[in-house]
Amino acid sequence: MSHVYRFEIYPDLFNLKKVTSGETALKSWFQTYMQTTFNHIWEVRYFLVETKEKIENMEALLSEVFCDSVTEVLFSSESKNQELYHSWLKERGFSNPCLIDVGFRPGVTDNSAHAALEALKLLPELKRMPMKVSSGVMYFVEGHDLSAKKLTELTYEKMANFLLHKVTVTMTNDLVYNERLKNIDFPNVQISAQESKEIDLNVSEAELLKLNQENCWALSLFEIKHIKTHFQTQKRNPTDVEMEIIAQTWSEHCKHKIFSSEITYSEANLPKGVKPLGDLKIKGIFKSYIRGATEKIKKERKLPWLVSIFHDNAGVVRFDDKMDVCIKVETHNSPSALDPYGGALTGILGVNRDILGVGVGAKPIANTNVFCLAENKYFRDNDIKLPLLLKNPDRIKEGVHLGVQDGGNKSGIPTVNGAFVFDRDFVGKPLVFCGTIGVMPQMENNKSTSLKGQRPGDLIVMAGGRIGKDGIHGATFSSMELVDGVPASVVQIGDPITQKRLSDFLIEARIKGLFNSVTDNGAGGLSSSVGEMAQATNGAVVYLEKALVKYPGLSPYELMVSESQERMTFSVPRDQEKAFLELAEKRSVEVSVIGEFTETGFLKVNYEGKTVANLSLHFVHESLPPMELKAHFDLGTKSDHWIKKEIKKPTLPKENYKEILLSLFKNPNIRSQEHLVRRYDHEVKAATIVKPYTGSTEKGYSAPSDAGVIWMKPHGGGADNALAISCGLCPKISAYDSYLMAEFALDEAVRNAVSTGANPDEMVLVDNYCWPDPIESERNPDAKLKLAHLVRASQALYDLSLAYGMPFVSGKDSMKNDFIGAMDNGEKVKISVPPTVLVTAMGRVPTLKAVTTSEAKKTEALIYLVGSKLTDYQSAFELKELYEDYTVEYPLPHINGKKQLDLYRSLHKSMREGLVLSSHDISDGGMLVALAEVLMGTKFGADIELKGIEKKDLIPFFFNEGCGRFIVTVDKKDQKEFEENLSGHIFSRLGETNETGILKIDLQGETLLEVHNDECMSHYKIEAEGKL
Amino acid sequence: MKREQIKALILTGDGINCEAETALAFTELGAQAEIIHISDLIENKNKLKEAQILALPGGFSFGDEIGSGQILALKLKYALGEELKTFVEEKKLVIGICNGFQALVRLGLLPKPFSKRTMTLTHNRQGHFINRWVDLDVPVSECVWTSELRGEKISLPIRHGEGRIVFKGNEEEQRATYKTLSSNGQIALSYRSDVNGSFAEIAGVCDPSGLIFGLMPHPEAAISLWHNPGGADKGEDKGLGLFIFESGLKYCEANL
Repeated sequence: MSHVYRFEIYPDLFNLKKVTSGETALKSWFQTYMQTTFNHIWEVRYFLVETKEKIENMEALLSEVFCDSVTEVLFSSESKNQELYHSWLKERGFSNPCLIDVGFRPGVTDNSAHAALEALKLLPELKRMPMKVSSGVMYFVEGHDLSAKKLTELTYEKMANFLLHKVTVTMTNDLVYNERLKNIDFPNVQISAQESKEIDLNVSEAELLKLNQENCWALSLFEIKHIKTHFQTQKRNPTDVEMEIIAQTWSEHCKHKIFSSEITYSEANLPKGVKPLGDLKIKGIFKSYIRGATEKIKKERKLPWLVSIFHDNAGVVRFDDKMDVCIKVETHNSPSALDPYGGALTGILGVNRDILGVGVGAKPIANTNVFCLAENKYFRDNDIKLPLLLKNPDRIKEGVHLGVQDGGNKSGIPTVNGAFVFDRDFVGKPLVFCGTIGVMPQMENNKSTSLKGQRPGDLIVMAGGRIGKDGIHGATFSSMELVDGVPASVVQIGDPITQKRLSDFLIEARIKGLFNSVTDNGAGGLSSSVGEMAQATNGAVVYLEKALVKYPGLSPYELMVSESQERMTFSVPRDQEKAFLELAEKRSVEVSVIGEFTETGFLKVNYEGKTVANLSLHFVHESLPPMELKAHFDLGTKSDHWIKKEIKKPTLPKENYKEILLSLFKNPNIRSQEHLVRRYDHEVKAATIVKPYTGSTEKGYSAPSDAGVIWMKPHGGGADNALAISCGLCPKISAYDSYLMAEFALDEAVRNAVSTGANPDEMVLVDNYCWPDPIESERNPDAKLKLAHLVRASQALYDLSLAYGMPFVSGKDSMKNDFIGAMDNGEKVKISVPPTVLVTAMGRVPTLKAVTTSEAKKTEALIYLVGSKLTDYQSAFELKELYEDYTVEYPLPHINGKKQLDLYRSLHKSMREGLVLSSHDISDGGMLVALAEVLMGTKFGADIELKGIEKKDLIPFFFNEGCGRFIVTVDKKDQKEFEENLSGHIFSRLGETNETGILKIDLQGETLLEVHNDECMSHYKIEAEGKL
Repeated sequence: MKREQIKALILTGDGINCEAETALAFTELGAQAEIIHISDLIENKNKLKEAQILALPGGFSFGDEIGSGQILALKLKYALGEELKTFVEEKKLVIGICNGFQALVRLGLLPKPFSKRTMTLTHNRQGHFINRWVDLDVPVSECVWTSELRGEKISLPIRHGEGRIVFKGNEEEQRATYKTLSSNGQIALSYRSDVNGSFAEIAGVCDPSGLIFGLMPHPEAAISLWHNPGGADKGEDKGLGLFIFESGLKYCEANL
C-alpha cells in the first residue's frame, strides 16, 4: 500500500525569529493592495513524498536532502515530537495562527518536486524505490477579522493562481490537531483517455459553429467549410485528431493569416503632416512589406551576410569570421495574462528553443525582454474600477519579472537588453516580448550548420520534457481574445533545468553529428513540429503511444497537440540512433522514438495500432486561400475608450524647466527600472561588454545604456568583434499616427545600436507586431481602422528599412490582444492594446574600439546635440502624458531616411576613429532628459550656453521627441576632426562638461535651469510601489 | 611543473552555466582546461588523477531547488566522495565560484574539509538575485588563489540570490567560528560594504591549507578590462579577475 509523508522545513532555533524580506514584502503587499494588516506572516516550504510502502527512519534519511543542517530543521509526519512546531510558532510570536497551504493541482509542473525526486534517488537507500514527490508552501498568518473565505481570496490574489494551485485554509481552532500530517492527499492525476472519434461535418452551419466553439478550434466558418469540402472529396469524415491538427496549423498564431491576407486600404482626409498612402491593394503584409523590403535590400546592396532568412525558426546572419549569428523575438501575451510568471518563463524558454532549433541547432548567448504593462497606481489614483477577473496589474508586473529572472538566470543566458513601457491600455493584456540571440559555427562535420537536413527514413525523436495535459490549445487560444472561463489546460510552467540539459545535449549531439535536423515543439506541439519538418521530406508517420507522458490517460489528440514545454523534435538517421539514445541517457535527457519521416505526401498518425489521422500535407499547409480584408484610415473614427472618465492632470509649470525635468524622470516610461533589471543576470557567459546600466565607479553604474554589446570572443568568434543588441517601441504614438509610431520604433532601435558603436551598414532588424483584433465583427466595430493602422505601420517599416538598407531577418505578429469581460455592474467591457510594433536591431561592432557608452567620461569635453533641434514641432509626447494643458500638434516630425543613414555613418566613422567619448540617444522625454542622463551617472556637470534659440522655443527644444538625435561628448583636441566628419549634417555644440556635478543652462545671460546630478538620479531611481 | 602542462578540470552539466568562461580564464593564461560533464567524470574517475585543478563554475545546478548547490553536493558526495578526498589530500587545487562555492560548502569541503558543517550560504538579505559589480578587499590570508592580489582593492561582478554567509549556532558560537576562520587566515575575500548581509562582509573563504577556495563574485567574468561596467574603465588590458587564476597556476608551477 502506498504511503505519503509530509516534510516541512523550518529554521532552527537560532534563525527562528528572523523575518525574511519575502515575508515583509507580503505584509506590505496586503497592506497596500488589500487593506489587510497581518501581525505575522511566516512562510514554510514543504514536500510530500509518496512511496510504494512505508520506509523506516525516513525523516533521518531525508533531512540531509531537504534541510541545510546549519540553519534548518525538518518536521514531518514521522516526527516523534508532534508538538514541536507549536512551540516554534509561539517562539515566532504567534498566539492565534491560521494556516494557508498552497499546493499544486495535479499535473502542474512542479520544479522543486522534480529536483527533490532526483536528489532522493541519489541516496543509496532510495535509489531503486518508486517514489513521487510534490512540493508546496504554507503560510502561518495572524491578524484581525480573518475568515477562511477571506484568507482564500487573499491567497489567490497574491500567492496562488487558481489555474495552478490548490489552496487549503485551516483556522486557528482546527490547527491543533495537525490534520495535515495525518491524512495527506497526494495530488495524483486521475484522468482517462478517450478513443479517437470521427467528427461529422455534414451538419448545419449553426452546428458547425457550435462544434468549433466546444472544441476550441478557433476556426472561421469559411475554414470549416473548406475542411468539409476536402473530406467530402475523400468520402469520409475527419477524426478528432485530424481536426485538432488542422486547427493548430491554421491558427492565427501558427499560420499568420492576417499577415498573409489580401487587404484593400483606403483613407479619409488626413490632418496636415500625416502621410497619405492613397488607395492600396496589398497582397499580404508579410510578403509585400517585410519580406518585400528584405528581398529588395538584399538585391540592391548585394548583401553577402544574409545566410538564412524567413524559412527557419530564426534569421541567420554572418557578422563574424567564424561564427554565424541568429536572432528571434517572440511574444507570450495571452499566457502571461493568465499566469504572468509561467507565461513569461515559458516565453523565454520557448524563444530559446527557437534558437536551439535553427538549422541543426544554435547556442543561445543572450536574451532580450520587453514588457508593456499597466500600473495599479494609475487606476487607484484616478479612482478607476477594473473589470472583473482582471489581475492586479502590479501582480502581472511582478509575475512576468520573476519569470524572466528564472527563465534567463537559470538557463545561464544573460539578459542584455530590454524595456518597460507603461500604458493603462495594457491592463487587459500585457505584452511580453522575449528575444534570443544565438551562435553556431559556420560549418561543422563538413556541413553548413544553418541548413536542416532531414531525410525520408530518418527517425522522429522527441526529446526533453514529457507530454501532459498542460498547454493544450495554446496556439488556438492565443488566437482568441481573453474571455472568462478559459480551460485551465492552456497554462504551462517552464522547467529551466530540463531545458538546460536538453540544450547542452543538443549542442553536444550536433557537434558529434548525431542528427540531421531539429526543430522546437512550440505552439501546436507535435502537430506543428512534426508537421513542419515533414514538409521537407514530404511525409511522416507517428506512433503516438511511444511518446513519453507525464501520466497515463491522455487521449490521442491531446498527445498530438499538447504544448508541454521543453521539448524538441529531432530527425535522427537510423545509423546514429544508438549513439543518440546513449548520449541522451548520459545527459539525463528523456527521449522517445515516435516515428519516421517518409515521402508519401501524408502525415499519418497511429495510436495503439489504429490510424487516427492521415492528412495530405498539401491540404494542411497549402490549400487555404488568403483572407480578403478591408482597411480604412480615418483618424476621426469613433473608437469608444473603456475608460469614460476625465483624468485630472496638473498644468504645465511653464519656465520651471527643472521641475518639468524632475517630473519627467519620475514618469513610468522614463524612470529607472534598475532595481528590477539587476535581478536579471546580464553578464553570465562573460561576454557582455556594455551592460544595461553604465556610469562611473564612484556613482555605481546607474545611468541607462542604449544597447547591450556582446563580445564574440568568448563565443568562439573574433577577438575584436562584437554585436550590439537594441530595441525600439513607441505605442503611445499610435494614437496620433501608426506610420509615425513604427518609424519611431525602427529608428529608436537603430539609433540605440549606432549610439553604442554598431556599424549602420552591418545591421539587421526583427519586427514584432502586437495588435488589437483587426477582423470586423459585431463587437469589433472599428476593425477597419485597426487594420489600417497595421498597413500604415508596415508601410513605415518598409519605407525606413529600405532607406536604411537594413533587412528584416525575422519577425512575428500577435493579432488578438484584446480583453473582453465585464464590470461588476454587469456592463460589458473591451480593452484593446494600442497598436504596437517592437523593432529589435542587431548590429556588428566591427572593432571593440568603437564601443561607446552613454555617460560623460571627463571634464572639459565638448557636448553636442547631433541632429535637429526640432523647434518647429509640438511633439513632446511625455509632456502630454503629464500635463493637462500641453497638446501634441500635427505635423509631427518624420525622418528623412537617406539623410539620416548618412549621419549614422558619419557618427560611426568618428566612433571607429576614437573621437567619441560618449554617445546617448534622445528618446522619451526629449533632449533635456537625455542630456541629464549623460551626466547623472558621473561626477561631471555641464555649462550650457544656448545659442540660436528663442525663448518661445525652449519647451519644444527641451522636450520634443523625434528620431535620429544624440547627445555626444568629444575631447576638445578632437573637435576639428569630429566636426569635419559631421559636415553636411545638423548638429550644435551645446557647451562643455565640468567638475561641478551640476547641469547649468543659460540663455543670453539668464540661467534657465540648474540641477545637480544627484537630484536627477534620485528622481530617476524612484521605485514603483509594490515591493517585489 | 610547466604552465602548459597544468590541467584544470572544469565541471559542467545539470545546470552549471559558467564552464566556458571559466575554462577561457585558464587557457588565456597558457594552462590546459578540460570541460567535463559530471556524469562523464563519474564514469572516468581517473580524470581527477590527471588534473591539478578542479573548478566548480557558477550556474544554477539543479535549478537551485531545495537549496543552492545542495543537490550537486549530494551527487558529488555519493558518486565521487572518495576521489575528491584523495584529490584534496594530494594538495591539489580546488576553486568553487558562486554556485560552485555553494556546492563546496554543502559538500563540507569548506571551510574545513571532513569536519562537521559550521557555515552555509543562504538567501541574500534583500531576498532576491543581484547582478552588480562590487568593491572587494583581498586580505592577507592563507589562500593560494589570491596570492597575486593580496592587499589590493579589486572590483568584480556578483550574480547570486543566495550569497549570504551564515554560521551555525547562537551569536557567540557564530563569532567563535568567525574568529577561528579569521585567525587561520581563511577569510580570503571581503566586500567593502554590506552587499548581501553576509557575516562580516565575507565574500570568499579558503580551507586552512589555502588550496580550496570558494567565492561568490565571478573572477572569470572580469578577465579583460572590456568586462568593466563603466565606459571609462574599458580597454585592452587584463582584468583583475584573471589574477585569481594566475595565482592558482603560480602555485601549481611551484609546488606540483
